[in-house]
Amino acid sequence: MLRIFVAFVAGAVPIVAAPFARAHAFLDHAIPAVGSSVPASPAVVTLWFTQDLEPAFSDVTVTNDAGQRVDLGNAHAAQGSPAELQIGLKPLPPGTYTVSWHVVSVDTHPTEGTFTFEVGTG
Amino acid sequence: MEGVLIAARTLHFAAAIALTGVFAFDCLVASPALRLSGVAAASEAGLRRRLGWLAWASLALAIGSGTAWLVAVAANMSGKPVGISLCRDVLPVVLTRTRFGEDWLLRLTLAGLLGCCLLARQGRRRAVGAIGWVALLLAALMLVSLTWAGHGGATPGPPGDLHLLADILHLLGAGFWLGTLLPLALLLTEARQTGDTNWAAVVGTATRRYSILAMASVTVLLAGGLVNTWFLTGTVPALVGTEYGRLLLAKIGLFIAMLIVAAVNLLRLTPRLASADGGTRNVVRRTVFQLRRNSLIEASLGFCVLAIVGALGTLPPGLHTEPGWPLPFRVDLEVLTLQSVVFLAILGVFASGCAIAAVTAAAAGHYRRMTAFGSGLIVCVVLGWVPLRAAIEPAYPTSFYAPGEPYAAPSVVRGAALYAKNCALCHGTTGRGEGPVAAGLPVRPADLTAPHLFAHTEGDLFWWVSEGTDNGVMPGFADVMSVNARWDVINFIRARAAAVLARGIGPEVTTAAALEVPDFAFERAGKQQTLEDALKRGPVLLVLFAAPTPVARLAQLAAEQRRLSTAGLDVLAVEIGPSARQPTESGAPLSFVVDVSADVTSTLALYGPPEDRGETDLMLDRAGNVRARWTRGGRDGLPDADTLVAVADGVARFAIAPQSHTGHAH
Repeated sequence: MLRIFVAFVAGAVPIVAAPFARAHAFLDHAIPAVGSSVPASPAVVTLWFTQDLEPAFSDVTVTNDAGQRVDLGNAHAAQGSPAELQIGLKPLPPGTYTVSWHVVSVDTHPTEGTFTFEVGTG
Repeated sequence: MEGVLIAARTLHFAAAIALTGVFAFDCLVASPALRLSGVAAASEAGLRRRLGWLAWASLALAIGSGTAWLVAVAANMSGKPVGISLCRDVLPVVLTRTRFGEDWLLRLTLAGLLGCCLLARQGRRRAVGAIGWVALLLAALMLVSLTWAGHGGATPGPPGDLHLLADILHLLGAGFWLGTLLPLALLLTEARQTGDTNWAAVVGTATRRYSILAMASVTVLLAGGLVNTWFLTGTVPALVGTEYGRLLLAKIGLFIAMLIVAAVNLLRLTPRLASADGGTRNVVRRTVFQLRRNSLIEASLGFCVLAIVGALGTLPPGLHTEPGWPLPFRVDLEVLTLQSVVFLAILGVFASGCAIAAVTAAAAGHYRRMTAFGSGLIVCVVLGWVPLRAAIEPAYPTSFYAPGEPYAAPSVVRGAALYAKNCALCHGTTGRGEGPVAAGLPVRPADLTAPHLFAHTEGDLFWWVSEGTDNGVMPGFADVMSVNARWDVINFIRARAAAVLARGIGPEVTTAAALEVPDFAFERAGKQQTLEDALKRGPVLLVLFAAPTPVARLAQLAAEQRRLSTAGLDVLAVEIGPSARQPTESGAPLSFVVDVSADVTSTLALYGPPEDRGETDLMLDRAGNVRARWTRGGRDGLPDADTLVAVADGVARFAIAPQSHTGHAH
């Protein structure tokens, strides 16, 4: 009995893994959607991430073609939804806008990225 | 800073595991063994002193490495360099407002309490008493608290909870197995150096108890590890092709080496101690020496494992980096029949069993049995090769790359323009391979609308677009198109092929190969959503119509809308065709006619060409695949509400494939 047990354990081949995936928060989806075009100026940009975030070290900015900031500087995590960030926007004229995010996940890893969306064109 | 972070993590894990191990060994192995024998108090004191030193050293290391880890994490999170300003401004924020910081303060408190326990025990000479068990509990808590600011703790929802539980089991198993190796070596050292013959009995009892402890903790360790891996089916490319995956393979290799040493200890050495009496003292001495040496070897291997764990925690995980496939072929099980796959699975189980039995027999010294099982293993491999050969496909370094652009309308439209400029010359404007230049080529350009396109991964296509194929008959476009541009072209080709093949789908729900509609954004009732959002709630009926607006049909759908949404079916009507984006002429706005941009209109136009006489209805399952299709001029005409409810019900049952990385760009 003992030998059988040890046989199982001693040869138990590859599948011993420590916590493997799921570190680092990446952008899951956003509204306005990545690369999309919206007819009217949105009031907020909302971003959903793959991991819970540390709001104290996470930030989002939105800039226009000329590189000027067009957000209200009030990036905050949604209440009760630790994987979501939201930021308010000033009224936007038609054009292309860039969202830059820099977040730290709860397991301490920083990640960043950008995407664009368009207002009022097409 | 990376190096400091990895070193701090490694040392801290080692210290926490050692702390748990020394108290576990004391409570579960050493004290019971000493109590049952009659050793003199003086020599017992020797062992107590050694264990005490180990505990204090581990505690000091835990606090020191923990502080270094905190500073390194604060620098990492804030992006600031290590210095006075970091300590003054960032550390308080980290300690009070992040989960890592709160966790750290908890562990510091536990370390302080452990120090008190150690001081309280300083004076006592015998027995463990309650303090020993309290110390074990505190040390185990300190070890387990490492998971709360780790990967399992950061994942939202029930999968995160399961992951967290698996992490906890994994760490506890490590604490009780890896952590108790050094204390065991210390006990064996004491036994060798003392002249007291009673120690033979102590060693016999201790090693027997230790075997049980080790077996139980390895099982728990394995259980935690297995659950974590179960989350990751289909990641052989990530395991073999990413830095993270290769480090993990190294860790698994070291673990197997540790298990083999443990097997030798358990099967050959420990039985000798149990059976030998004082008469064969030389055998006992030699066995104790070998056992001690093996335990130290295992502990060293274990420390290397912890170093890998330290590094792994700083890398992006394998699933989120592009895996470079190292072999010129891959195994595609989807081309095999169900019987072949079952046969291969059974052979796999047999082969694993033979491998395990062969290794165990070798560890126990039964070499004839080892040869027998080894031959069994070879037979399994040879038998399995026969069906496996049919599943081997050529593969390229990029075969398992995730698309760099999401499979969505903006990318498809960009891809269409790039295709017209770069690809239409040979592959033709329709993609069938009859471009103006095609006739003069030695190899006919591939038909990009054939079903065979979907037998290749996106990564295969990316390789051909980047490097060319057929010895240069198709040139590589790596110089002409950026990486993202190439992914756009691939998204367009796949979207068009899906549209062309979807024309073969009729009103009956099809279970054949999945043809996916690209994601797109739309505005409904003032809110922007995407098709993916809508599909999360259930199947979607996509109604594509061209001008003139089929007012009667839309009114009919509107009348039935409540019934359809109760059945779980969402309806999205999009106007495609040259006059799109003009306001509808009907009176009341219909809530399921949604506003989209020109990108989306031209993408969806692929799926509903004008010869369908003005309207195409597509039933999409929850993964966005086309499962049924009706057209105005088609065999059954357009579906009524009863048909739609029945079809939606059937389609909703299609299982969603596990989240793969197609179209999931970051």
